[in-house]
Amino acid sequence: MSSISVGSPSINISQPKRRHWRRRSEFGMILLASGLTICAYLIVSLSLTSKIPSNLQFFLGFVLILGLLAHLATRVLAPEADSVLLPTVVLLNGLGYVMISRLDVYSVHKSAPWQAAWTALGVGVYILTLKVVKRTRDLDRYRYIIAIIAAILLALPLIPHVGENIGGARLWIHIGNVTFQPIEIAKLLLVIFFASYFVEKKELLSIGTLRIGNRLFADPRSFGPILLAAIVSLMAMAIEHDVGFALLLFVLFISMLWIATGRFAYVLLGIAVFALGTWMGSHLLVQVNDRIVVWLDPWKYSSGGGFQPIQGIISLAAGGLGGVGLGQGLTGLYVPVPQSDYIFVAFGEELGLFGSAAIIVAFLIIIGSGFRIAVAAKSDFAKLVAAGLTILIGFQSFFILAGIERILPLTGVTLPWVSYGGSSLVANYVLLALLMRISSESEERKLEDLLKE
Amino acid sequence: MKVLDKRIQWIALILIGCFLLLFIQLNNLQIRQASHLTSLPYNFRNHQALLYLPRGSILTSDGTILATSKPTKDAFKELREYPTGSLFSDIVGYDSIYYGVTGVEAVYNSYLSMHPSSSSSLGGILTSQDTTDDVILTLSTKLQQVAVQALAKYPIGAVVAIDPQTGAVLAMYGKPTYDPNPLTSHNISQERAYFASLNPSSPTSPLLSVAYQQRYAPGSTFKVVTSSAVYQRDPSLATKNYPYLHYLTLPQSNSLLHNFANEGCGGQLPILLEQSCDTGFGQIGLDLGANNLAGEAQQFGFNQVPPIDLTNVAKSNFPSAASFATQLPFLAYSAIGQGNVQATALQMAMVAGAVANDGVMMVPHVLSQIQDSLGQTVKQYVPQPWLYSTTPSSASSVTSDMELVASAGTASNLFPPSQNIAAKTGTAQTSQAAGNNNWLVAFGPNGNGVKPQVAVAAVVPYFPGLPKDTTGDQIAGPVVETVLETALSLGL
Repeated sequence: MSSISVGSPSINISQPKRRHWRRRSEFGMILLASGLTICAYLIVSLSLTSKIPSNLQFFLGFVLILGLLAHLATRVLAPEADSVLLPTVVLLNGLGYVMISRLDVYSVHKSAPWQAAWTALGVGVYILTLKVVKRTRDLDRYRYIIAIIAAILLALPLIPHVGENIGGARLWIHIGNVTFQPIEIAKLLLVIFFASYFVEKKELLSIGTLRIGNRLFADPRSFGPILLAAIVSLMAMAIEHDVGFALLLFVLFISMLWIATGRFAYVLLGIAVFALGTWMGSHLLVQVNDRIVVWLDPWKYSSGGGFQPIQGIISLAAGGLGGVGLGQGLTGLYVPVPQSDYIFVAFGEELGLFGSAAIIVAFLIIIGSGFRIAVAAKSDFAKLVAAGLTILIGFQSFFILAGIERILPLTGVTLPWVSYGGSSLVANYVLLALLMRISSESEERKLEDLLKE
Repeated sequence: MKVLDKRIQWIALILIGCFLLLFIQLNNLQIRQASHLTSLPYNFRNHQALLYLPRGSILTSDGTILATSKPTKDAFKELREYPTGSLFSDIVGYDSIYYGVTGVEAVYNSYLSMHPSSSSSLGGILTSQDTTDDVILTLSTKLQQVAVQALAKYPIGAVVAIDPQTGAVLAMYGKPTYDPNPLTSHNISQERAYFASLNPSSPTSPLLSVAYQQRYAPGSTFKVVTSSAVYQRDPSLATKNYPYLHYLTLPQSNSLLHNFANEGCGGQLPILLEQSCDTGFGQIGLDLGANNLAGEAQQFGFNQVPPIDLTNVAKSNFPSAASFATQLPFLAYSAIGQGNVQATALQMAMVAGAVANDGVMMVPHVLSQIQDSLGQTVKQYVPQPWLYSTTPSSASSVTSDMELVASAGTASNLFPPSQNIAAKTGTAQTSQAAGNNNWLVAFGPNGNGVKPQVAVAAVVPYFPGLPKDTTGDQIAGPVVETVLETALSLGL
């Protein structure tokens, strides 16, 4: 694939009109999302204290400035990028913040100021990523460095004094009094590494070169680095006692491998390996076994491990169709850790099926846009990166929501952009920036092709 | 490239399917199953209303505050506090957002929680304000503290002191017990951790009161009921001479009922009770017959939940008359309070109280009165009889037999002779003879036209570390003595 100079100033001038409609509609939708967030904030305050919040103008300014900053940066740095992604993320992040601050009434340690700070940092990192990653293929250059950094990040929580156990999982590191989940960043690096590696070794992986009997098999040597990456990530997870991310990384790995090679055998092999891993995990790791046992019959453990799942579905049920109203729910009193893993049930209770379905639809919009970007992308590498990032968002939100709704055993991952959590928020803003970069790039290419004709 | 797109679309389809599943399950949980899920006892929203409002206090008869609510600045608005901690937890219970309401907190909830004022003044009718009432109990702080000290030596045990003439509970303490304060804390994780540490699903959880929610074989204290059955239902047996035996050969079997420590005993009923003669009472049980013994147990409150104003009160068990037809050996065992007979400490205090009160078992109660926020009495408890357990003359015969137990029998040297205390010991073997459940019931003072003021029952069930050969008078005797003498000296 020959390299073509993209995003050059000449195109900016030649196609001003076409460029602006995407950003204009994005601007409108960001105003709408910010408006909804501010309304929600106002309603919560009226509901809880019957007063208009004293810091309303400050909050209003904060939401609008962050939204507009992200928008303006996109206008300059990724002018042709998809127009619905950013507004949807602004809405999810905004509503998530409102719910976190609303749930803060029940806790001594306030989470909302932290979430605000992390959001600001997230937007900053979003702009920085767009600025630094000018072209998608820049990411393709540092494949092994990226893999090594990912491996180091995965191993960080295991280092004594740096790592920290929260809720039985050793996924955190602390710097000063700030805790961080390095795996959130590692998952993005793994997407880039897998994409880069699979694209280069696509032929080798998909066409059999090794003959056993009268059948051809893919050369086992090309599996080495992949297997290593998969094993390292899964082992780290086993030691860190967390299933959620191990499952997510595994699904990511298998799906990307299948997209690259089209070999269904990999999927079957992957499912078999994961089933084996889960079976072993449930026998070796107490946490894994507990999660499965509680999933099968939470009522039996209603005051122990079943407490959170039971309270979660009761919160959803309490919301019914229309919800009890913002600020009127009691999820914060009864559901443990309502601001991170279980924030969705707080929406389910206060906004009802309308609200919870709206959040699901918002994620579907993001997933749809993500896959659309992947299909529209001009290089295999960009396609795989975009698909991988979308798979991360899609399956991460599916796993946590399915866990809450008791479709699957509970896996402790955050709901992207909505849940409380700095590392998750920052990492998902990087993810958004990468999707925007790929999207902008392919649209620019399309324009360029049109111009040539 | 087109191939990649196709595969990406497949993954997209799979994810859309996953999200469709999420949406369907949301409909199921939020609409279809909503009313079922929200009606479950796990839904704390059902008793949430109690929390956001002020709540009345619970006090002892001497004015000690046992439960009170304080305004707080957090979202819960009110904090429920129990200043005496575990001292009265079995009685007061708790008012917890997670674990519901128990004990007096539950029974008198309608007075303690906010309700329309019942003021009869004109201003009250016009303004009709909401108010909370205070609940004043019959219990004595001093006596309760003495009960705790009396049981301090043992990890498990219970003592119950009642006023036999009114049924008022003066002290009731069982251990192990719990501190209700963490259960009403506003720190949810602390609340849950403390509740879990109490092993709520275990049959020996400290959440269950050893005084009125745990049952133990009452052993020879049940001979009080058997004696009453003789006087009331077959008086001829009272003067029958039972042979001096070391063991009794039981009908329908080859099994032998041995006396405690294989001693020999025999004689007429007063002597049998004084020495707690198992062979004699075993034969009395067989002579009385199943109907008489089961009927008498029923009249003394067995197989019925005592109507005390507390929650989840256990009933005491006596086998049905029919069950003895082919199981006569069990009738002999039941007559001496073993076999399948099981009683709570509260029940045995009520049995002693019924004998003390001319055979009338009063409704046991912890409520003395309810006062409104201005200190005016809203409701005064009026004592009422529950069961006519036995006739006054039978009761008086049993009383004099029980006085012999305290003056010359198995409970001698425990009580000051001047008070003519009536008592009965109980030493029930636990299964496989690991050790004994140790009981003592007593009431007094008696004689010279004095009416008994206090009836007390204490049980110290077998626990690992207790020697095998303990007896009721050694272990439970001093507990009853301390509580009874303190109650009398306090003039309760």
